Amino acid sequence: MTAARESIGGRLAVHSGQSSPADTLTARSRLPASVVALLAATGVLMAAAAYTAGRVGYVGPSWADRMYWAGQLLILTPVAARLLGRRALSASETVTMIVVLTVAEYLVRVCYSPAAFTYADELMHWRTATDVMQTGKLFSPNNLLPISPYYPGLEEVTTALASITGISVYTCGLIVAGVAHLLFVCVLFMLFRHVSGSHRVAGVALLIYASESLFQSFDSMFVYQTLALPFFGLALLATYRVAAPQATGRVGPGRAGWFAVAALAALATVVTHHVTSILLVGTLEVVTLGALLTRDRRLAAWASTLALVSAAALAAWIAFAAPSTPSYLQPVVTGALDSVRALLTGGHAGASPAVSAANGPAENQALAAAAVVIMSALVPVGWWQVWRRYRRQPWVVALAIGAVTWFVVVAVRLVVANGSELAGRASTFAFLPAGFIAALAVIRLTDNTLRSPTVRADVRRRAPVVVAGAVAAALVLVLNGLVNGWPPYWERLPGPFQVAGAERSVGPEQVASADWALAVLGPGNRFATDEGDLPVLGGYGDQTMVGEDGDLYTAPAVTPVAAELVQAQSIGYVLVDRRLSEMLPASGQYFPVDLNSGTYTRPLPLADLTKFDRVPGVSRIYDSGDIVVYDLQGSAFYGP
Amino acid sequence: MGHSQADVAASALIAGLACVEAASGAPTPVMTVLGIALFAAPGYLLGQVLIGSQVSGLERVAVITGLALAVPVLGGLLLYAAGIPLHREGWVGLLAVVTLAGDVALFLRRRAGRAAPFSWQPTWRVPRWQVAAFAAAVLVASGAVGLARIGVAMQPQPGFTQLWLSPQRSHGHALSLGVSNDQGRTTSYQLVLLRDGRVSATWDFTLDAGQTWRRSVPLTGAGTVAARLYRLPDLAHPYRYVSVTGISVPGS
Repeated sequence: MTAARESIGGRLAVHSGQSSPADTLTARSRLPASVVALLAATGVLMAAAAYTAGRVGYVGPSWADRMYWAGQLLILTPVAARLLGRRALSASETVTMIVVLTVAEYLVRVCYSPAAFTYADELMHWRTATDVMQTGKLFSPNNLLPISPYYPGLEEVTTALASITGISVYTCGLIVAGVAHLLFVCVLFMLFRHVSGSHRVAGVALLIYASESLFQSFDSMFVYQTLALPFFGLALLATYRVAAPQATGRVGPGRAGWFAVAALAALATVVTHHVTSILLVGTLEVVTLGALLTRDRRLAAWASTLALVSAAALAAWIAFAAPSTPSYLQPVVTGALDSVRALLTGGHAGASPAVSAANGPAENQALAAAAVVIMSALVPVGWWQVWRRYRRQPWVVALAIGAVTWFVVVAVRLVVANGSELAGRASTFAFLPAGFIAALAVIRLTDNTLRSPTVRADVRRRAPVVVAGAVAAALVLVLNGLVNGWPPYWERLPGPFQVAGAERSVGPEQVASADWALAVLGPGNRFATDEGDLPVLGGYGDQTMVGEDGDLYTAPAVTPVAAELVQAQSIGYVLVDRRLSEMLPASGQYFPVDLNSGTYTRPLPLADLTKFDRVPGVSRIYDSGDIVVYDLQGSAFYGP
Repeated sequence: MGHSQADVAASALIAGLACVEAASGAPTPVMTVLGIALFAAPGYLLGQVLIGSQVSGLERVAVITGLALAVPVLGGLLLYAAGIPLHREGWVGLLAVVTLAGDVALFLRRRAGRAAPFSWQPTWRVPRWQVAAFAAAVLVASGAVGLARIGVAMQPQPGFTQLWLSPQRSHGHALSLGVSNDQGRTTSYQLVLLRDGRVSATWDFTLDAGQTWRRSVPLTGAGTVAARLYRLPDLAHPYRYVSVTGISVPGS
């Protein structure tokens, strides 16, 4: 074993700026970082042009769609080629590549809805932030996402910035989400660089992490998890620092300062997002386990102490500020456990694998399958690398343990009812260790300096092919994240209104009706509505949505089932969008809870939607052409 | 004090100016610049106090940014617990207090020789053509966002007109009758109010794009009150229609 190879597996003085063999390639690249940035910006411009084309009518399989993907390739390919290439890449260049990728993808996301929030979850948090701005108080009820006000970190930061700068909540939300997203990536880079001793490993790990399906969407949107993630990362980075050997004997705050940073970051995580807080405690426990396995008592002590602090803070927050947290999370947990239990006992898991797997065109599913195969092949190779080189490194061992979650996520996607969404949400965290471990494998497979001298010369001849293969695999991973992430394939480009869609269901008429409901009816009325109007009416309108209302729309008259539904759900108003009788639902379902999801072959009959005009006692209180609001209070739905 | 405490002096000045600005008011650009500086100052000072000069470069920036974001999260809770509204004055006060406290702590640490003095010595050098390329990238990216915003403005949207007739929340025995023009151009209407099917009142009016017409209609008896809106010159087909049967109170 060479001295250089020993330096990888041994315990590293990772802050000295020393490079691992993976970082010591000599030839300079002919593609400078500034040119990569310019290419990425051009890619963003192409995506924006495609979006504009979509808005003016060129949606669907057209040149606009191809322009969007060409723009994405212009962003991704140079970055992947630089990170995976055999040319020398300094630490600052590696950081630049990661920053360019993150910022470019974030800007693509901003260009999708550059004038207002349109994604459902963003509207939920916009509602909470607006309430804080208007009332000056925390914990005001949010009828669309009741748990949101009890984790107000995102809204506090956004309203603080909006209040002291005079900038709008929307713009401040974009700034906060963008900064938080970039901060999370940078913190991860620093952590991965420290634990691997290689900026190249860290760069490749972040490239793989960028292939996580929510990286470009949910993890950078104006939602509470986006802000909680950098706090989560900062707590881990500070934990690393507080236990690092070089922290001793130096002038300055030393361990106490880093412990304070870790504690502040953990507290901020707890106040900002429930699931991230729980996973912070879990991650610190896994780090403790890694430290115990490698007999690093100092790290075990600090990590377990911080886990205890985080757990105590979370418990106190749930007990005194957010008691509804368990009931909010319980259905997801029990649903997943029930599916797994059913599967283990040989019963039905609640949904067939075909249903719960990633839906969409065949090419999308093929890409998803290829990505699963690539990651599933890389992670074991990475484990092998951990055993060979890093088994005395507590953080790497902890990451290796955490990488098991990748296979859990794959299993959840395949066997759990609605597993795609659950797996997608979980992948934000599962990809952290899995991306790092896969990066170790990628570096092992592409870096010739890590091979024995006898095979090095032979492999050198094939180096371009190896690198090209690695870049192609990375593109498959990242493109899969984009194709099967958000927005869904049926709303890849913005465009004309779609019934029961996603962001294309947020139009001026919907917003106007929601504004009217809040202004005239007041907040918190119990509304029945369809899938597309729900987030707008709940967000802009601050109304309370009832989920299971499909029978009310599809019943031809005041049937006992419809009346029972109205009474059981205490429905006060019904919003009817007449376009439900003109188009099939873009998302496959007309209603938030729709038993006929994916089976509609023709739009709903108009007569069923307009039956409210003929029901005694029902008032038709709002009409904007496509949208009509009915007041059911005191009507035949509540009895003769 | 000299240059070693320049950052302390600058951040204290920012906190002071922000407080003065909050009390007296200032043009929006001044408010924005001061606000951003005040937002960042606590993170910088806390970073200096807690980790000092132990780390440099990206890691230092990351810690400072994280702490800057954490201050409103945790400080907002303290404001709320103290009963201080989370409005402009409260936020400015909070950030100014944390900034000044950080200034004092950092000043004392430096006086005691437990923190490094302030210095600004950028060690990196980027060739001019690379700076130009990065600047071009920023311009192109900004142009992309601008193009996207233009796209939103260009997107064809069908015009619409809102008509409503609903019991007023503040006055249970009156109805709120309103028309809002979102057709995208000036439009003339005729609005006919019917009580139990008989014409009670008629209004002819013209609304500019975005303009709203409102009336309060007394609710007498338990009959049906309806309104038909015609878009002139078509008086044959009602353009919008609403009706209220009996009395129902919103929010109940």
